[in-house]
Amino acid sequence: MREALRRLPAWVTAHPIASFIVFFAVFPFLVPYQSLATQVLIFGLFALGFNLLYGYTGLLSFGHAAYYGLGAYGTGIALAKLQLTSLWVALGLGFGAAMVGGALVGFFCLRRRGIYFAMLTLAFAQMLYFIAFHAADLTGGDDGLRGIPLYPLSLPGVSLSLRHPLAFYFFAYALVVLAVAALKRILDSPFGAVLQAIRENSDRAVACGYNINRIKLLSFVFSASFAGLAGALDALRLTVVPVESLYYTTSAQVVIMTLLGGAGTFFGPFVGAATFLVLADRLSLFIEFWPLVIGVIFMAFVLFLPRGIWGTLTSRRAP
Amino acid sequence: MHRREFLTTATAGATLVVFPAVLRAQSKEPIRIGFPLPLTGTFAAIAADMQKGAQLAMEELNAKGGAMGRKIEVLFRDDELKPAVGAQRTKELIENQKVDFVVGGLAAHVQMAINEQTKAAKKLYISVSQSDEISAKPDTSPLTFHEALNPTITSRAMATYGMQNLGKKWWIVYADYAWGKQNNAVFTAAITKLGGTILGSTPYPLGKPEFSAHLPKIQAAKPDVIYAVTPGADNVPFLKQAISFGLKKDAKIAQPLHFLYYTKEGGAEVFQDIYGATHFCHELAETLPQAKRYVEAFTKQFKMPPDAYSGYGYNGIMEVARGVELAKSTESDAVANALRKNREYDHYKGKQWWRACDNKSFQDLWILKVRSPQQVKGEWGLFDVIGKVVANEELDRTCAEKGFA
Repeated sequence: MREALRRLPAWVTAHPIASFIVFFAVFPFLVPYQSLATQVLIFGLFALGFNLLYGYTGLLSFGHAAYYGLGAYGTGIALAKLQLTSLWVALGLGFGAAMVGGALVGFFCLRRRGIYFAMLTLAFAQMLYFIAFHAADLTGGDDGLRGIPLYPLSLPGVSLSLRHPLAFYFFAYALVVLAVAALKRILDSPFGAVLQAIRENSDRAVACGYNINRIKLLSFVFSASFAGLAGALDALRLTVVPVESLYYTTSAQVVIMTLLGGAGTFFGPFVGAATFLVLADRLSLFIEFWPLVIGVIFMAFVLFLPRGIWGTLTSRRAP
Repeated sequence: MHRREFLTTATAGATLVVFPAVLRAQSKEPIRIGFPLPLTGTFAAIAADMQKGAQLAMEELNAKGGAMGRKIEVLFRDDELKPAVGAQRTKELIENQKVDFVVGGLAAHVQMAINEQTKAAKKLYISVSQSDEISAKPDTSPLTFHEALNPTITSRAMATYGMQNLGKKWWIVYADYAWGKQNNAVFTAAITKLGGTILGSTPYPLGKPEFSAHLPKIQAAKPDVIYAVTPGADNVPFLKQAISFGLKKDAKIAQPLHFLYYTKEGGAEVFQDIYGATHFCHELAETLPQAKRYVEAFTKQFKMPPDAYSGYGYNGIMEVARGVELAKSTESDAVANALRKNREYDHYKGKQWWRACDNKSFQDLWILKVRSPQQVKGEWGLFDVIGKVVANEELDRTCAEKGFA
């Protein structure tokens, strides 16, 4: 038994997609309520997108709320304002808005490196926040976008209601599994290898003949698209898009989740999201200063276990 | 007793002895009310006051046997003044705690997020802080009740009182977000309708209370009164800057609402002679027997007098219990219908009623003026009650204006 447990992280690392499918199929039954499980999935996906850019490409964005928010508003506006009735089209619009937003912002921000890059991403996100804040007719302003109808999901030959929390969980689960498989495919491709080469030494990647600006931009767009899908799903989950979705605190949250779980590791973002959200949910029932507790845990990890929870588990137990 | 009756009674009795849980589960499970509110964040002091009101209501109800013979249990949750957290907490209350009803929310945007969850889950929701939209289409629903005042009622009441008593020429300073903008729009329309003049208005970003660039311009316009929509932590910096520019000597200052705890914290030196409205203050105990009972019970329990929002929390819980008793049911639809059919209530300060079309509560409000430091009575006697605006549906938008045909 102990031997099996010892080998578990290695097995999970070797079979990431299968592990993900199995674990998250039972996950909603392990947490106190199903909406919490869905929130973990969605924020895990958001962090997964962030991790592609930060953990694998080495680019620190402080403005990932922008793409999460674009996804949320894109889907929310499609349903609440444009009165579309297809969830698929609405999700597609949110996803597309984040992708286009990522391409535009990435195009400008990638002209600078390091802290200047990070500050530019933050500035763009804050610009979007203020636009959403003031464009109240379209976005609901600081009251948030309300009245997003959750239509049944149309699949070939069948129409599924997503009103039950468990039904919505498995809808999100299906999409997140696809996203995780897509990420695996990206990372296993030669393109994925170049991303990591850029992270390790961008000058050497240039010397090897790679057009790193184009590759970084692609990574930025992929990353924004994952974040956008997360935002789109969250708009459907809450049927409301708060303007804070675009605020810098949302960007900070995804950085914390990723670092807590383990940046540059495949499952780190989900482990980080689960740890952060489940702790926040339970701790806040008992103590008012729960952010302090999470803050201390976060600092302890950054100082003593910088690989994060999953990074530490896999690095220590790998044969 | 016939043999058959005896057997039936004995069997039922034995069942209850052997399976007491059956009895408990069927009739003695508490009625659960979820209550999200911002226990942390900018409005934490007001939230704590509201929580105390709700807690007092729960204890008073339970001391009398609860509702329908079942105890009332109120589950408070910190929504951190964030809509996404408010939504998540409401989901947790409904899915995990299986609450029967939801009361709470403090700030329009969080109420909206809570309301979306209660609408989807078909749970009765009594919203307890200011918002114009929450009781209007498309946001409201047959299960959404709104206990608090709203910007329209507050600013129309202040405009009516102000035009009669304070002056005809006004300048508005307002925080540039939903509540501030609504107050500005309503107040401008009301003053103009009453024959007054708005000389100008100054929006500023909420949470950035720096007015020195604007104050000379306001001073040069020579308004009779300045209407300051400077909520929360912006209130004191605005007043301090107005004092230092000598503006308070040249013009009167009025604001939509007064809060006891904020006024005490800022001090009578700063707030002296500032006018504002409220739906409740503890000074009402001097004139209203219901308020006297409430203030005494609250003060006895919490060793401090209640501020205004405790009343909203108190009423929210009391009205759920009244609705349950009237409907003899904990089904949200039945309770909502019962409240609409029996619209009048009076729990702590006089008669209130639900308007049938929009489930909006109508209630008296009072105009307060802050006493000078020398006149403050004891630790908490900061307000002079100088006027009363009697509850009136015409102070709010009409049912048609709110989208009800």
